[in-house]
Amino acid sequence: MMLAITNARLHPVSSPAGRGGLLIEDGRILEVGDIRVPETAEVIDARGRPVTPGIIEAHCHAGLSEEGIGWEGNDGNERSDPMTPHVRAIDGANPEDKAFRFFREAGITASQLTPGSANIIGGEQLVAKSVETVFIDEMVVLRPSGMKAALGENPKRVYGASRGPATRMGNAAVMRKWLTRARRYAEKSNAQDPPDFDMVLAALLPVVRGEIPLRIHCHRADDIRTALRIADEYALDISLEHVTQGHLVADLLAERAVPCAVGPSMVHEAKVEMRGNGFENVARMHRAGVRMCLTNDHPVVHGRNLPAAAGMLQAAGVSFDDALESITRAAAEHVGLGERIGSLEPGKDADVVVWSGDPLDARSFCDVTVIDGLVVYRREESGC
Amino acid sequence: MRAYIGARIYPVDAPPFDDGVMLVDDGHIQEVGADVRVPDGVETVDLSGRVVIPGMVDAHSHAGMWGDGEGDASRDGNERPGPIAADVDAVDSVNPHHRSFASCREGGVTSVMIHPGSGNAIGGLCFAAKTRGEIVDDMVIRAPTGLKGALGENPKRGSGKDSPKTRMGTAALIRDYFARAAEYGRKKDADKDPDPDAGFENALRVLRGEIPFRVHAHRADDIVTATRLCEALDIRYNIEHCTDGYLLAEFLGHRELTAHVGPGLSSRGKVEVANRDERNAALLHAAGVRVCLVTDHPFLDVRYLMAYGGVAHKHGLPFDATLRALTLTPAESIGIADRVGSLAKGKDADFLVLAGEPFRYRSPILSTFVEGEEVYTRQQP
Repeated sequence: MMLAITNARLHPVSSPAGRGGLLIEDGRILEVGDIRVPETAEVIDARGRPVTPGIIEAHCHAGLSEEGIGWEGNDGNERSDPMTPHVRAIDGANPEDKAFRFFREAGITASQLTPGSANIIGGEQLVAKSVETVFIDEMVVLRPSGMKAALGENPKRVYGASRGPATRMGNAAVMRKWLTRARRYAEKSNAQDPPDFDMVLAALLPVVRGEIPLRIHCHRADDIRTALRIADEYALDISLEHVTQGHLVADLLAERAVPCAVGPSMVHEAKVEMRGNGFENVARMHRAGVRMCLTNDHPVVHGRNLPAAAGMLQAAGVSFDDALESITRAAAEHVGLGERIGSLEPGKDADVVVWSGDPLDARSFCDVTVIDGLVVYRREESGC
Repeated sequence: MRAYIGARIYPVDAPPFDDGVMLVDDGHIQEVGADVRVPDGVETVDLSGRVVIPGMVDAHSHAGMWGDGEGDASRDGNERPGPIAADVDAVDSVNPHHRSFASCREGGVTSVMIHPGSGNAIGGLCFAAKTRGEIVDDMVIRAPTGLKGALGENPKRGSGKDSPKTRMGTAALIRDYFARAAEYGRKKDADKDPDPDAGFENALRVLRGEIPFRVHAHRADDIVTATRLCEALDIRYNIEHCTDGYLLAEFLGHRELTAHVGPGLSSRGKVEVANRDERNAALLHAAGVRVCLVTDHPFLDVRYLMAYGGVAHKHGLPFDATLRALTLTPAESIGIADRVGSLAKGKDADFLVLAGEPFRYRSPILSTFVEGEEVYTRQQP
């Protein structure tokens, strides 16, 4: 089954924009640019409209914090204990969350589904495509894609004086205690006489072995520094999530090339740790060379507004190409799928969006969404 | 006096024109038009290539009241335990130094109606203020501008011993409050000298038509309950949020209601907003409802009100209606259109200078003026 998108204004992200087409076969991109269209191929004539890679929400609670539902739909924070690396997003995410439909309608083709930030270590993450299904397993493209962790206000607010952690230094101590235990568990697991199975420690093994990143929620500059300090102590692979005050430590972040998912920037400074939230400061981080993508932290800001966030980043002085990259290729690299998604290149997954106009303009619509080579949304058929 | 020349001007109450002239003196608009002569010796500000629109008016805001990272210590929007907090006045909860006012100015909002929260069935008095100032009383444009009421989920969540547990419980509390207030009024009229009751006095303002009842209602059935309650009392009212409004647009259109639609761009965080649809404002407008786009700041950060306008416009709200929904219609709904909401001779010189046409991310607000004073200047990135 072949699909050709012709007469496009192509924004491949990995190469300069220009006129051309895309040829897609078996869910993958076959040719980009000057394509030959086989007679058997289904053809979408873009009629000069912009075509981009599918948009990626790198830090997302879709399915875990369901839309329009109360506590029954809240499955993102396992608040029974601040240390829950053994819980998995795949067991909490509901594919019938309306969010995934809205993602298809907005060109959001993939998202990293992540436990919340109540816990010091909150559980295993995954990356899902926004396909329509009742089985979460059919949406998964990468699992685990990381292990969620949190510093700052949230854990100390949720646990506090009654059981702890109650302070930022308490947060760090809990994280260190368990990383130390896990490191020891890993050493013993390699020995002749392995320790009794411990589900919590076993779940931390890929983290202390550096096989998956610890993705650390941090807004405030001092929390960012604490995350880096602990990462150094345990030789962890990490990414930073939110990074609201990253502009205050931008040179350090740039020098160390720490992957940062920055956002949600389109909200007020909801918490003290979010002081300075705004696109001007995100643009400062970008100018300093920080390795970053944008996130809306769906549903804090709905994931479907990611192109709006990129538009505002552009308004704050970042080039169109870089703003688009911040929600496509940079997001793909952040979630560990830079080889598969995030740009229009031969061999990559055919996750593609046709836009009614400039994709970062408020007035443009997503006209067609393609995931793995299949058209999953057409605006003309939806009545939107 | 100062003359702003060269911009494309959208007065809102008149068609736009290019190469406009606006004369501002002592905080007021002296003249505005395409053919206005600049008097000799007047300082001119060249705005060629720019676009000028009125300062936006946000008819549902909690600026100065909570949010923006100030934590519990400055959470002053819902008087608890409720559920009838009719005697409180939002003026007494607003901190002019709260950073939300700087956000208002950055977002191009020069006038706000500040509401108590929706945690109580009766929340207290609303008032209208400018978004610049040190002393809240000096910021007031008009007070009070309404009495806040709430239906739906929020009052049910109240922790007071009398808090309602169901929607019918909330409706009964509101009916009872107005009925007892009417009785109080009758006693006063009959010189029976009842004990003074500030909460009942505020109800009498509504019952006498001095101020409207402004009712928080998201879900369709809550909106209908609001109409049922208010029409039985024969009082002026409007719907706050009106999230499901498009599901009963014709029903509301017949009533020539005003809907304060928002917060925009937000997610469906609770059941009563499960049907949130970006087309709501457009469909309500088409049905004849008077639409205001509101932030409910901090629920939509007021810095993004213009972006919300863009989204509403994109989803079918005509350009002129979108601009009006952010300026003159809210000014009329609040009762301050004699001073703000459009660029006209004699009105306050509250206006925005945009880099280009409204509702585009890349036409940022370059300057915000309140009464002729530049209160926000965009730093060049």
